[in-house]
Amino acid sequence: MFSKILHILHIKIIKTHWDSVKFYKLPKPDMSYIRALFNRYSPLKDQNYDLPLNKGSDTNFLVLLISLMSFLAVLALSGSIAINSMTNRWSSGLENKITIEIAVETKEGHILSQETIGQETIALYKMLSENKRVKSANVLNHEDIQELLSPWIGNDMNLEDLPLPGLIAIELHNIDEKGLKELTEEIEKTSQYAQLETHREWLSDLINFANTLQMLALVVTLIIGSITIIAIAYAVRTRLALHHNEVALLHHMGASDNYIARQFRNHAIILSFKGGMIGTSAGIAMTFILTLLSRNSGTDLIPVINIGLWGMALLLLIPVIVCSVAVITSYLTVLRSLAKMP
Amino acid sequence: MIQFENVHFHYNKHAPDILHDVSFTLARGSYHFLTGPSGAGKTSLIKLLFLGKIPQEGKITLFGSDTAAASRKELSEIRRNIGVVFQDFRLLGNLSAFDNVALPLRISGRPREEINNHVNELLDWVGLGDHKQNLPETLSGGQQQRIAIARAVIAQPKLLLADEPTGNLDNEIGFRLMGLFEQLNRTGTTIVIATHNPNIIEQFGHPCLRLVGGTVKQDNTEAHARKKIRHVF
Repeated sequence: MFSKILHILHIKIIKTHWDSVKFYKLPKPDMSYIRALFNRYSPLKDQNYDLPLNKGSDTNFLVLLISLMSFLAVLALSGSIAINSMTNRWSSGLENKITIEIAVETKEGHILSQETIGQETIALYKMLSENKRVKSANVLNHEDIQELLSPWIGNDMNLEDLPLPGLIAIELHNIDEKGLKELTEEIEKTSQYAQLETHREWLSDLINFANTLQMLALVVTLIIGSITIIAIAYAVRTRLALHHNEVALLHHMGASDNYIARQFRNHAIILSFKGGMIGTSAGIAMTFILTLLSRNSGTDLIPVINIGLWGMALLLLIPVIVCSVAVITSYLTVLRSLAKMP
Repeated sequence: MIQFENVHFHYNKHAPDILHDVSFTLARGSYHFLTGPSGAGKTSLIKLLFLGKIPQEGKITLFGSDTAAASRKELSEIRRNIGVVFQDFRLLGNLSAFDNVALPLRISGRPREEINNHVNELLDWVGLGDHKQNLPETLSGGQQQRIAIARAVIAQPKLLLADEPTGNLDNEIGFRLMGLFEQLNRTGTTIVIATHNPNIIEQFGHPCLRLVGGTVKQDNTEAHARKKIRHVF
């Protein structure tokens, strides 16, 4: 469409300003140096294959298959990276942090007044502020509590009428289990209604779940890799069978197994790199969209996907990995088949 | 130089031998016709000579190497010293005439400049200088045959094998082709031509390897030479 418009404009200019229009031919850039470098160092320097490997519809099929596999690999890997960064965030965010709650309802079932809760909270805060194991203590006010509850109850609800617990967020210095036990005793001594929440139990469950998901992503990646290897090996075998006469001719002319295998390898590099780049680009685009969606979801319940620079570098390695897998698979498959020739 | 000792060969273990107890010796620089009725095993013997097949029994020695004991790398090197003109040419359809002829040199890893010089020279010599970039399918049968021959001789092989090289050609081109083989033989190349054309055998008068009943009967070369000299004078 764009070229059509340009063409029409071009004709119009020529018709109206024929005499004044001058055409300049841009000098062709000298590519001989780059070509010479390519011919010297590139593994693809034998770009003119002796074998007719470029022909055949299965070439496109293989590119499509490798694209799909790369796409899935990118998704699996970016999922794994996102889960990893999420668990790291959880762990580091809650490391050395505990919460003390003065619950509205005691263990015996009595309801505490807001006044009692306030007094108990202040007493605890005083004790904690002077405790050498505590780095900082922060009493959560109504606004803080409302913010914490907003994912469940929204921002519009008035909390003044609700009985709210007293909450103190504490950051500790690095202490061991013994230190934590002693602190717990001190807290219980200060307030009989205080309940200590170290987050450890539920966090470990969450991290276990995240680790399982990561393992799953790894298994999916391995399955994708295996399918890619099988597909490439199958495609190479089909090619070998299809061009058996030509391969046999080269063999009988004294071509070494490496000479023949190199041609299949070079062909595999081109196809797998093409497929790998298409699939990886699509996968990265999809990951980018998911990242944007997670950031703009408007709720804290959906975790923000964060791939990071290292993660992105890892994703960009996928075409290289796919290429390497294709090269090794095709090379070995051809060598194995040629070994059967006398 | 080329020696077959009690060679047995069959394609299928349930089928009888195509070649049975074949023994002969070809001296370096010799020229032989391989003859026999259709189905006698000429093509099979040619395949054994260019190591396209391996015998089930017996010993084949090429250029002083026992082929059964040679490593895979050595076998490749032996094959590079053998030029073959196939009955059906076996040109690679995706390659130009130039690239088809250049193939043995590329396989041998010769420098690009040397390849260009040799191939251009040879294609000019066989009269295909104007068709260097043509694909085989655009060339006539005779032109394709000349490419196949150029490809077989470009690397100056020690042994040249041709399977019914005149089979698809008219008499005139066939005799011209045989003249080309004569020239090559004079440069020291050992030549074996499989043919069942009695006119060619009579005209060129070289000794024969006769395949009869799966075995080879070799003309006595000395007696044949004396007979040839008598014929000439």
